[in-house]
Amino acid sequence: MADALVEFDSVVKKFGDFTAVERMNFTIDEGEFVAIMGPSGCGKTTTLRMLAGLEEPSEGEVRMQGRVMNAVPAHERDTPLVWQSLALFPFLNARENVEFGLQMRGVDAAARRKKALDWLDRLEIGEFAERNISSLSGGQKQRVALARSLVTEPRILLLDEPLSALDANLVIRMQSMLTRLQRELGITFVYVTHSQSEAFAMADRVVIMSRGRIAQIGAPKDIYRAPDNRFVAEFVGRNNIISGKIKSSSGKSVLINGSLGDFKVSLGGRAKPSPGDEGSFVIAADLVHLSSKKPRAGNQIECSLISEEFIGSVVTLFLEAKDGSEFKVQIQERELADMDLKHMGKVFVSWDPERAHYIGAD
Amino acid sequence: MPVSEQNTQLPLVETTPKRRFARLLTFKDALRLPIIIWQALFFIAPLIFMVAMSFFIVRNYRMTEAFEMKNWLKMMSRDYFWDSYGLTIGLATLATLVVMTVAFPAAYTLAFRVSENTRRWAVFLLIIPFFTSYLVRIFSWYVILAESGVINAMLGYIGLGPYIMLNTQFGTIVGYMTLTLPLVIILQTLSLANIDWSLVEAAHNLGCRPWRTVFCIVLPLARTGLIIAAVFCFILSFGDFVSPYYLGGSKPPTLPILIVDTVKSGQQWPRAAVVAVVMMVTLFIVAFGGIAAAYRRRVR
Repeated sequence: MADALVEFDSVVKKFGDFTAVERMNFTIDEGEFVAIMGPSGCGKTTTLRMLAGLEEPSEGEVRMQGRVMNAVPAHERDTPLVWQSLALFPFLNARENVEFGLQMRGVDAAARRKKALDWLDRLEIGEFAERNISSLSGGQKQRVALARSLVTEPRILLLDEPLSALDANLVIRMQSMLTRLQRELGITFVYVTHSQSEAFAMADRVVIMSRGRIAQIGAPKDIYRAPDNRFVAEFVGRNNIISGKIKSSSGKSVLINGSLGDFKVSLGGRAKPSPGDEGSFVIAADLVHLSSKKPRAGNQIECSLISEEFIGSVVTLFLEAKDGSEFKVQIQERELADMDLKHMGKVFVSWDPERAHYIGAD
Repeated sequence: MPVSEQNTQLPLVETTPKRRFARLLTFKDALRLPIIIWQALFFIAPLIFMVAMSFFIVRNYRMTEAFEMKNWLKMMSRDYFWDSYGLTIGLATLATLVVMTVAFPAAYTLAFRVSENTRRWAVFLLIIPFFTSYLVRIFSWYVILAESGVINAMLGYIGLGPYIMLNTQFGTIVGYMTLTLPLVIILQTLSLANIDWSLVEAAHNLGCRPWRTVFCIVLPLARTGLIIAAVFCFILSFGDFVSPYYLGGSKPPTLPILIVDTVKSGQQWPRAAVVAVVMMVTLFIVAFGGIAAAYRRRVR
């Protein structure tokens, strides 16, 4: 195992009566790209601010390279942050902004000028070095902010939703630039975002947070295909969640009885529940098979088509089952064209029990 | 008065003088008219009259219309005038420096260290001194600063003093501060409260020590408001008559006292006008210089 660069040990952060972060435990390894993701107010920015020393934990310890950082003030840490608002100094030009961190560390004028210009060149904005911040475009400002944070060659870079103000095309370009930079520099990136596409596109590991707690930590693919709980299943991807009572369990699978019938679900690695318990499972919208004729056997639900969302090659269909619950299906646009479905027409959805993912009671 | 842009760009309609007059008095212009008339009557006209008066002469205690350089030559060649001028600028500058320095920690606390509600109350309380007459507030300093006053009584207990504070330049500065400190704290607080706090955090994040942040980040960001506060402080102190007269003992006189003295001694209104014009010019230079510095942008 690689060295843990950052450790959160039972960290709690309270603001008055409000608990922003509740008993957080996790580690970040050297050279990792970690994304912390969750809806607004989940505590992800507070977590990042505790790393930067802008908030002090109410309980627990934040350690960096083994050293307890709780009371170390922000200016004594080397944890540069790229702000959502960028927080560039408006009274300094691009180069002077980049030089700021070096100036604070007492680097002499000639050396810091050279370093700042090198970084601006590296981020392809060397020609704007002497420009005022207000005359730069969103993407250029973004790069100045990055250069300003990276110029001191930190071991860790913190990013707080840095791409949220950019338009879609630019986001994709900045994403590939960030991943390339992180690989080239070999430093740790901690990236806070509410955007699933940003987190999944860049991160080695994603931490999903909900109401101050960690809901799941894992590689993007694991989180996408194997959500641990209902919150993650609802927050990530397009998932259908079906709940019911455990009717029987046999070996590696269980039979769940819900309002739409009995469904066989593979347990994966989960502990076997006992009959009578509440249980839920997830079936991802893109793992569902759609047909206009009733399948011979297996997990299936009869639905009627309510609406569709067309976003290019993939179409999401919104179906309604007999009990009124919504069911989402994602299929290729080409496939859908061949099926000739009608609005409110009857369709059958079915899936392989191995593809369903058991998530327990919560 | 500006002719509307359409007229200058598209002279398609032949504009007779009569029509042009009708165009000039549009509704929008009519709204501006009262302020223009007010300014012309009560600001520009008296100003012109004052400048003109500085060239009048006084014969047998009566002012006579004339155009002579005598008053200007006389005042400009007198040492006491220049001494007064230097003293007034010096005291006003000192008061501005002291007030700006004393006000800053208070404004910083109000802007950043207290809740928004507390800040609102504090600003309200800072307005209250303006409810009472400035003259009354100045007289109340007598009780405090006098040789047998509150401060000397307290110092006496620990075996110090008595110190003479009334009728000194210290007294004048105390008076100037009474006049300007609440206003300067309010102006500084408002300009600091507008600062984006994330910029201060960003400076900490980049290794800037808290004290250094005040000078590197807070002062440059609040520059416009701070300079305007200082300009106000200087203008109010420079033109104040009450403090140097009652607390400063009027010796040596500041320019406002010199104006009063000049008028009283031999009805020398024209020479007083000379002093007043010099004061106006000085304040114009300070105000324009200050505002230019406050709004200066780095041009690139």
